[in-house]
Amino acid sequence: MSHELQKPTGERRKEIAKAIGHKCLVSRRNFLISTGVTTTIMITMNPGTPMAEEVPAQITEFPRKLIAKMSELELDKPFDFSYPDEGEHADSMIVKMGVKAGGGIGEGQDVVAFNYACTHQGGSLYDSYKPDTKSLGACPLHLSTYDLTRHGILISGQAYQSLPQVLLELDGDDIYATGIFGLIFGRKDNLHG
Amino acid sequence: MSTPYYIPDENVPLPPADAEVITTACDYCIVACGYKVYRWPVKGGKNGGAMADQNAFGEDFPVQALGPWVAPNQHNIVLHDGEPHHVVIIPDKAAEAVNVNGDSSLRGGCIAQKCYNPETPTRDRLKSPMMRIYGMLQPVTWDFALDIAAEMAKYVIAKFGANAYGVKSYSYQYIENTYAIRKYALRSVNTANFANHDAPSNVGATPGFRDAGFDNFGPSYQDWKDAETLLICGTDPYETKTIMFTQWIMPAIQGGQKAIFMVPRKTAGVAFAEQNGGLWLDVNPGTDLLLVNAIARVIVENGWQDKEWIEKWVNDKWGSSSGFGQGTRNTPWQWRTTWGKFQTKGFDDWSKWLLGQDEFALDAASEVTGVDAAKIKLAAEMMAKPKEDGSRPKTSIMIEKGFYWSNNTGNTEAIAALGITVGAGGRPGQMIGRAGGHQRGGVSGGSYPRNKSPMKLPGRRRRALDTDTWTVSGHTRMAHVIGTTWIQSMLGSQQLSQRFHELTRGNPHQIQSINRDKILETLKARVDSGGMVIVNQDIYLVDPIGNQFADIIFPAATWGEEDFLRANGERRVRLYQKFYDAPGEAKPDWWIISQLAKKMGFDGYDWETSNDVAEEAAKFTRGSRKDFNMVKIAAHREGKTLHEKFREMGTNGIQAPVYMNADGSLMGTVRLHDTTRKLPADGPTAANMFNKKLTHFNSQTGKCNIQKSPWSLFSDYWEWMKPKGDELWCTSGRANERWQSGFDDTRRPYIVQRWPDNWVEINEDDAAARGIESGDMVLLSNDRVPALKDIILGVEGSDYSFAGQMANGNVELSEASVTAVAIVTRAVKKGVMYMDFLHTSQPANALAGRVVDWISGNYNYKMGVAKVTKIGESPYKHSFRSMSFAPRDIVI
Repeated sequence: MSHELQKPTGERRKEIAKAIGHKCLVSRRNFLISTGVTTTIMITMNPGTPMAEEVPAQITEFPRKLIAKMSELELDKPFDFSYPDEGEHADSMIVKMGVKAGGGIGEGQDVVAFNYACTHQGGSLYDSYKPDTKSLGACPLHLSTYDLTRHGILISGQAYQSLPQVLLELDGDDIYATGIFGLIFGRKDNLHG
Repeated sequence: MSTPYYIPDENVPLPPADAEVITTACDYCIVACGYKVYRWPVKGGKNGGAMADQNAFGEDFPVQALGPWVAPNQHNIVLHDGEPHHVVIIPDKAAEAVNVNGDSSLRGGCIAQKCYNPETPTRDRLKSPMMRIYGMLQPVTWDFALDIAAEMAKYVIAKFGANAYGVKSYSYQYIENTYAIRKYALRSVNTANFANHDAPSNVGATPGFRDAGFDNFGPSYQDWKDAETLLICGTDPYETKTIMFTQWIMPAIQGGQKAIFMVPRKTAGVAFAEQNGGLWLDVNPGTDLLLVNAIARVIVENGWQDKEWIEKWVNDKWGSSSGFGQGTRNTPWQWRTTWGKFQTKGFDDWSKWLLGQDEFALDAASEVTGVDAAKIKLAAEMMAKPKEDGSRPKTSIMIEKGFYWSNNTGNTEAIAALGITVGAGGRPGQMIGRAGGHQRGGVSGGSYPRNKSPMKLPGRRRRALDTDTWTVSGHTRMAHVIGTTWIQSMLGSQQLSQRFHELTRGNPHQIQSINRDKILETLKARVDSGGMVIVNQDIYLVDPIGNQFADIIFPAATWGEEDFLRANGERRVRLYQKFYDAPGEAKPDWWIISQLAKKMGFDGYDWETSNDVAEEAAKFTRGSRKDFNMVKIAAHREGKTLHEKFREMGTNGIQAPVYMNADGSLMGTVRLHDTTRKLPADGPTAANMFNKKLTHFNSQTGKCNIQKSPWSLFSDYWEWMKPKGDELWCTSGRANERWQSGFDDTRRPYIVQRWPDNWVEINEDDAAARGIESGDMVLLSNDRVPALKDIILGVEGSDYSFAGQMANGNVELSEASVTAVAIVTRAVKKGVMYMDFLHTSQPANALAGRVVDWISGNYNYKMGVAKVTKIGESPYKHSFRSMSFAPRDIVI
């Protein structure tokens, strides 16, 4: 519950977006460093043998992960978590929007969760939640915006698909993430890199 | 067609390290981003892995932001040499031009979904020639279909003349095809009944640019970036030519460029500009001329015009009257209309006229255009007010259809004059041009037989035939329609559709046999009785032209199914490579035309490959903005074909016109009218050409003509059309997620989920006054759609004007009704609705008058008017799976 994302806040994000402009690839690494994108969990295959190598950890099915308590969610205040793992582009958010939404849980069916990586080119949508339109974005890279009341469908922009929605289950006051609908940016498989 | 129930995939196959890599460019918007196709066989199941050495990108997965990710929509399975192959199509991450480093829009980004795959909604691609027998389209052989078409064409031309054979074709779907089509229509058949997909007659898009001497596509994308102030009229490039915005304009705005948008609707690009020191001029439809001249007037009143530029580059009295060395009668504005309405004696004469028109005064213009006077003044300052150090802002101007399809002649004359005034047109970062819509793939294999057109301006030359009116009035006996949504793409669409029905299926003579002689007898009886035969050549069955009205269908091959050449909006020519098999018996349009032409007995169609056509077309590009003739010469010197030479240039291609240096290397052209360019002093050698447009303007002297743009030539139509009572403007245009008629997008589940139905944006206040909420199903109706009844010969000066046509009884009024899902939004101006421009069953064009701009002969498509009423709720109002009603102006 105390997971802190090392990411810049709104104003800083805008500065970064401005600074990287469109020399994107040139400064891609810098951008990633400055926006603090995560580590990959590595495991050692064939330990102790000549074929030993480090490869990304793989999980075979979506974990059931406790991510928040319903009673602690405040209206229009996103809460951040990682899912389905701690790997790249796993940063996600859960928000209580006060309006009924596709896939929403809770009494008002208004609590939804989404991955933060823009499905266009992977820009971070951190801190871009807009209470008036119940949307995420605009992505600082190319301005894509997503409708969180409608399964993360693209409102306007260049993404190749909806924002991946984190599937939620409510157990008493506990909210569990149980799966993801849609492929996370950057991965070839949600669970296997 | 796809349903809106899209289930996203959660994994995607990666290309293995040894996948074949084929370069191409996107099929859609003007920008034409570079793409790479990764192809590998399905057989063997050898897909790429997550480690860098296991995939064709050489990258570890997950990839990082901006990396070569493969979204599931970027993968498909196609047949290549008859064997199933995976293809992954992503923007070229190594691109050095256009989409540098591999940026992409949603449209191009998902272009893999375009490929024919019988397991996807593309399964209804046309795969066999067909003939309508007993009302049903039946597969027949190529030879049979071509034979009937050729016999009927010969009969119609012999009996009713070439003008009874109409060719309505795309202007852009690759150089090899357009060259073949125009060679056939214009040189061989020699018909004046010829029009492109986007106009009723064979006319240019921007008469004002033509008069001033500006090429439509002079600027390079770097110029849009280098401008300090950029005026963008009638488009939001973010929505419609995305990479031009995200790659070139957006970083400029972030670096301090002031972007001014002149549009009635606020989308993301407009909102982004506003957020970053730019300006939104929320102009009422059709009043752009007043706004442009009001800005010009503020500039002239303050003496902010670019005096040095004007002194050097604007025609004075003598230059303006000098003609093309053939006397004044041969200057284009004089071809079109009355003496003295446009021509000036130079800048001072124009200024005097400008200051003398009361409607251009700040308050008067503000009232009619609906734009705040303070914003008009601010726009003038941004564009032309000298800085404190005395230097001028580098200003460029971009226009597109929202602007030039509102008052075609007037708006383009006005903006050309404003461009000249601020010194835009001939220097880096100081350019004027079109943004562009579709790509530039037109090369003419013949010239338009203007003198065969029965339309003539009073006291002037003939004008290109209005093919819609010509057809409505029953003169087209055989229509050959190629790759266009003729009917809905033209104005007064529903009345037009009704007339097409009467002339084809409504005629008693319908094919009821597969016997050749009986078919010909029937079709001849049809045309003899005043009816019409339609041949339709396309990749899908278009409704209604193909699905309901056509007698013969030719299935066409398209992007990725043949090697083709085409240019983009900065004249960059590239090879779009074949990488998979066309479905069934579908053939490229050049092949279909060549077979038909040979059956009709025409010479010059013995092409074997698309390269053969391209090499023939090359010499017809000489002197044009797409001049790539020297690429062919270089290729032949090196023992290569033209296509091979372009293949080597990959996604960079080369910017035309292309010049060959003394050492045989090729040199492209960054911008046209480049007054800073130094050409080789010893002049053009060998087959090289130096055209005036390289370093001067496209005018009689090489200098610009500054022209008047009288409101009175258009105000009769505008006053008549403008909303009365409860009506609102209902203008139209593109939405980012859909391309043209949606011929591909309606077969993409994700796009259909996003836009499952026709839609209309309504301002919050207008909606509240009518009890309309987002998600309601609304009816848009217009009970006074004007349309021209017949083509005329002009006798009096004003015969072609709207008032003149009305007075002469040549306008009839009809009703139009179109349904849509309402999107109530803050992001469109009060009094204005905005609709997708080309839904095939609910065409926005039905609501606008089928009346051509009387000076140019083009349509003013954006002048639609409708009453809007709620008729119920759409299924999308309370469900969450598809559509979104959130505004499109959300920015960072």
